Amino acid sequence: MFKKIALLFLVLVLTLPLFTGCQKDAGTIKIGLEGPMTGDYAYEGQGFEKAVKLLVDQTNEAGGINGRQVELIIEDDAGDPTQAALVAQRLVDAGVVAVIGAYNSTATEPASEIYNEAGLLHITPSSTATRLTEKGFQRFFRVCFLDDRQGLFAATFAKDVLGVQNLGILHDNSTYAQGLAEHTKRYAEEMGMNVAFYDAINPDDQDFTPILTNIGAAGLDAIYFTGYHAQGGLLLKQTGDLGLDLNWVMGNACNNPELIQIGGLENAVGTYITTEPLPKDVDYPEARQFVADFQEAYDMMPDSVWWMMAAEAFNVIRYVMEETNSTDSKVMAEFLHNEAKDINGITGPILGWDEKGDRLGTIHLAYIINEAGELIVNPQQP
Amino acid sequence: MQLIQQMINGITIGAFYSLVALGYTMVYGVLKLINFAHGDLFMWGAYIGLTGLNIVLALIAQTTPWAILPAIILVMVTVALVGVLVERVAYRPLRTAGRLAPVISALGVAFILESLARNIYGASYKTYPAGVALTGGTTLGGARVSVMQIVVLVVSFLLMGALYLFVQRTRIGTAMRAVALDHDTSRLMGIDVNRIIGVVFLIGPGLGGVAGMIVALYYGSFDFTLGWVFGLKAFIAAIMGGIGNIPGAMLGGMILGIIETLGSGYLSPQWKDVIAYVILILILIFRPTGLLGERVAEKL
Repeated sequence: MFKKIALLFLVLVLTLPLFTGCQKDAGTIKIGLEGPMTGDYAYEGQGFEKAVKLLVDQTNEAGGINGRQVELIIEDDAGDPTQAALVAQRLVDAGVVAVIGAYNSTATEPASEIYNEAGLLHITPSSTATRLTEKGFQRFFRVCFLDDRQGLFAATFAKDVLGVQNLGILHDNSTYAQGLAEHTKRYAEEMGMNVAFYDAINPDDQDFTPILTNIGAAGLDAIYFTGYHAQGGLLLKQTGDLGLDLNWVMGNACNNPELIQIGGLENAVGTYITTEPLPKDVDYPEARQFVADFQEAYDMMPDSVWWMMAAEAFNVIRYVMEETNSTDSKVMAEFLHNEAKDINGITGPILGWDEKGDRLGTIHLAYIINEAGELIVNPQQP
Repeated sequence: MQLIQQMINGITIGAFYSLVALGYTMVYGVLKLINFAHGDLFMWGAYIGLTGLNIVLALIAQTTPWAILPAIILVMVTVALVGVLVERVAYRPLRTAGRLAPVISALGVAFILESLARNIYGASYKTYPAGVALTGGTTLGGARVSVMQIVVLVVSFLLMGALYLFVQRTRIGTAMRAVALDHDTSRLMGIDVNRIIGVVFLIGPGLGGVAGMIVALYYGSFDFTLGWVFGLKAFIAAIMGGIGNIPGAMLGGMILGIIETLGSGYLSPQWKDVIAYVILILILIFRPTGLLGERVAEKL
């Protein structure tokens, strides 16, 4: 008898979601958000959630999109490719019409296959791996910029602002850092600069004095480091220890307060960093509005540029739905590829997308570390 | 000029390898056990040093390099006690269990120590408080020597010299050498073998902990994986010099540090490991027991 009741109860519990599913309002627009809410990148994933939720609430208060309310469905991929595939399927099953996500390229890749199969509009806020847009997925877009854009920016900055003749480039053999280094080298050579030093460190090492001694002897006007902040900090510190006077420029993975902490303020002062603008420095009305709203809602600054990008992804979805008066992903994707341009974005003007789905233009800025250890926008920009 | 600078860079790295290699060599000498947990005891030295420094600085309410002294004593005592505890819990019960079981147990301890550090202190990089490590330096013939480098070298050679004299000249040191030769005969001679092994696990990890704190002071920042790279390199240095031999560990550490530095300085950091390990393999082919390792007669 007990077993039968237990079985009946189990059946009821298992079928409950089916009933609740039927009760949902068919009139809402379901939009998925996939990101790392737990795990190593939880900081970014939780920021995604805050940023997108804020815009969804604002949109719904203002009457929704095309008169329909927006329902945000959030799934946690933990930054893990296996879990990303699982939750992507769940979002497809939940009947979303568009998806924002994921954070890291490793998770975005398997998920994008599933969204593509299901024919959904898919926008990643932050995955910059080049090959994601090389697969011919017609409904996959980025609101972030490829590393190739940053390479172009860094080379232009070195030539036009710093007046560099002999440029050194140092990476750490990671996919990201090596890619950025190669792009920068290509553009620098196209612009007529001499790449007099090009090498890589091993990020597991603690001591970089041997290669710094070489860099010091190479007669460089500036050296561009494309790796991560922990090694960037050690490089700055050991440059000081060796008494070298190097003109350091570092990539966006060094855009982190720990760089100054590890390097020591006296060594870090005057270091340039090429990066997407920090939320506090994005000087567009839309951006200022977003930052103010974010502060009011959560009592904190949107600290990461990727949170802004997540908001931007929702902004683009809202824009394209309103412009096309449709939620059909094919119509929306064609509009984004061919007609969308000069959108007033939260992260700056959006010029449009190329045929692969990569965002056109660049919004990078050069920063400099000042005497107080703050990252401020360099007065001269290319 | 560049060669002199690179030699200075290499000797500094070599001094760190030597200090850590001592711990591997001492334990191997008495137990024929490769103590893979040693690298992580070294890493714990860096963390306990950080905690100790913060406490000392809070107590005296000012920043001075002298705060290092009480902190380093705390590190030495704490890590030495952890070392003894590890031996008691993870190695002694396995002493008669063949050679494989203790090595696996040591690997287990290494993973436990590493995970504990990550869970307690977090996975992000830690930095030592500013103003504690000595700054400044001087330029000698075009090569830069920092005050910290001089301190590191002096402290390292003092510690290594003191250890060598301790092992060669004192009664406990003599007993250690006897235990290294043969446990059973030593016991027949009236030596308390367990006590001597306990002393080895006080000194080895104690020195390793101090090395961890010096490395962290010198480089300023570290994370919980610090023990992995330094531990592996120091282990190789110990083999290169002749494992079980204290001057060998010092020599091996210095040679490895200098080869690596010249390799990355004159070729590329991407090639330095290839060069260093080709040389290691050559040394082992021509001298299988390492540079200073003596050929011990097989026990019958």
